[in-house]
Amino acid sequence: MNHTPPRSPSASGSLPPKGARFALGRPVGETAKWLKFAWQNTLRNRRRSLVTVSIAALGTAAILVAGGFALSTYKGLSEMASRSTGHLIVARPAQFDKDEDTPLQHGLDDVSGLRAALLADPDVRQVLPRVEFSGLISNGDKSTVMMATGIDPDSEFAVKGPFLRITEGEVLASGSKDAEVMLGEGLARSLKAKPGSSLTLLASTAEGALNAMDVQVKGVFSTGVPDMDRRFVYTDIATAQKLLGTRRVSSLGVFLARMDMTGSAQQRVAAANPTLKVQTWLDQAFFYKSVKDLYNRIFGALGLIIGLIVVFVVTNAMAMAIIERTREVGTLRALGTLPSQLLRTLGLEGMVLGGVGALAGALLALSVTLFLLLVPVEMPPPPGQTKGYPLIITFDAVMYLVTMLSMVTLTVLASTWVARKTVHMPVVDALAHT
Amino acid sequence: MSSFHPIVVELHGVHKTYRLGEHVVRALQGVDLSVQRGELLALTGPSGSGKSTILNLCGLIDTPDSGDIVLGGTTVKGLSEGQRTLLRRDAMGFVFQSFNLVPVMTVAENVDYPLFIAGVGAAERRQRVAAQLEAVGLLDHAQHRPDALSGGQRQRVAIARALVKRPRLVIADEPTASLDSHTADQVLELMRERGHAEGAAFVIATHDSRLTSRCDRIVALLDGRLQ
Repeated sequence: MNHTPPRSPSASGSLPPKGARFALGRPVGETAKWLKFAWQNTLRNRRRSLVTVSIAALGTAAILVAGGFALSTYKGLSEMASRSTGHLIVARPAQFDKDEDTPLQHGLDDVSGLRAALLADPDVRQVLPRVEFSGLISNGDKSTVMMATGIDPDSEFAVKGPFLRITEGEVLASGSKDAEVMLGEGLARSLKAKPGSSLTLLASTAEGALNAMDVQVKGVFSTGVPDMDRRFVYTDIATAQKLLGTRRVSSLGVFLARMDMTGSAQQRVAAANPTLKVQTWLDQAFFYKSVKDLYNRIFGALGLIIGLIVVFVVTNAMAMAIIERTREVGTLRALGTLPSQLLRTLGLEGMVLGGVGALAGALLALSVTLFLLLVPVEMPPPPGQTKGYPLIITFDAVMYLVTMLSMVTLTVLASTWVARKTVHMPVVDALAHT
Repeated sequence: MSSFHPIVVELHGVHKTYRLGEHVVRALQGVDLSVQRGELLALTGPSGSGKSTILNLCGLIDTPDSGDIVLGGTTVKGLSEGQRTLLRRDAMGFVFQSFNLVPVMTVAENVDYPLFIAGVGAAERRQRVAAQLEAVGLLDHAQHRPDALSGGQRQRVAIARALVKRPRLVIADEPTASLDSHTADQVLELMRERGHAEGAAFVIATHDSRLTSRCDRIVALLDGRLQ
């Protein structure tokens, strides 16, 4: 069966083989024409298209704002966690894996050499020794349990910045002649202590004996977590080592220039110190991990619900549009349009609706993000904390791109799914549709 | 479909039944029919006589229960739906009673559509669409939407759309039923003139006696049989 070229509108002029499909690779001009047809179709019922676009826009904006809030929370918590411990924590393996029989049983000896070696790494900004111990703190009349950390004050505050809120007095200083401490505000209140007050620290030494040391209160701080403020004590390393009767430290906190250097720096430090164990801040950030896990579930469920709503709305809108145009579909099929071509143009309609909605939603989310930068909004304190935090919505280009592409994909799939039955309907039935 | 075969379409012993609920309707009962190149064939008969069924079968938008349909000397039996669609695209034009223009497209875009889906190049499409619109006297309305046209103008656009691809066969179902008598006369003349100019055969279902008088042949149908 041949077609004579001069009369046939097709290039080949011959009957295509059985099962032939319309060529997938189309010139740009043809794609633009199909896109124009799709755009014109979306304007047939402007109110319905506006509702569909609005739902897609609100869904996109909700996902991006919620996602941006989650990202800013993750960022804040990760910075807090890494600032607390250091990006890397270097210690003997038993320090991480086993309980101590006596204070600093698994501590590091003579860390000055190790510290110097670590500081030679170009990515390392500072190395801070830590002595962690527990004991009793007393004002002479009353004794209570304390959780204490011995730090190198000048380096600690230089690296970590104002990580504590000082409510009274001053921060510790390195090289002080007197044994000094900083108390959490709950603990200071419990012991009726103020800057200048004398207290006594009691703890077991590294040999297991009981030791006591008089100290002076230098300042009072708040971490924002009342439970911590009732127990926490900071002192300088020399005072802690003197109380515990040892030259050891519990661990070294390694602070890097940037967070994203953590993985590579961990590998280098671990390779250079095979007898030691190197953990990252993430290994010890239990609060961060639990919050992230919770938020991922909450926002994942939110995204799923929003996605379903968008799919239902687009499906409904496209179903109505296609039913109204069943006769037209029959006409186009009679004229020689393949079902695949009709599916494509109806999918493009979904793409136009979803694309415009996603773009509008992204602009809306971006506006909210910028507005919150210009007009800060304070969030109430989280459970168990005393201080609120600023509401920040993080802009993340990848998140925007993925969300918009997902929205467009959803609307295209919804459109083609509802259209597939009509475009494959017998032409006679479609033409007879009223 | 060969362009040199003298018979454009043939129906051999075609039977077609429809089921309407519990009822079986015998739409065609052993119909034999052939249409020559350039012929204007009128199908007449009362409602339900089988006119539209013959149009649907000749236009390859329906299939017979038995019998054979031959286009340009080649049977269409065994062709896939995709092949039938491409045959319609390349060799057939359709004119509907209610015009069936795409309302969101301009007049030019409606006429251009069959060429566009056939993959004809943009430059050739522009030239053929302009020529066809000039032939039906609507070149000045090329950028108008169908809803800005009268019924007669819309049907002229539909005729231009059917003929722009230079088809062997044009299927026309009651093309003048929605038009007043003066407009119907104009449309009839146009179909006759353009049909002969393009060498296309027309199979026209109609009740309109003015139309049948201008056709080359009249075939009457009753209860699914040729009279």
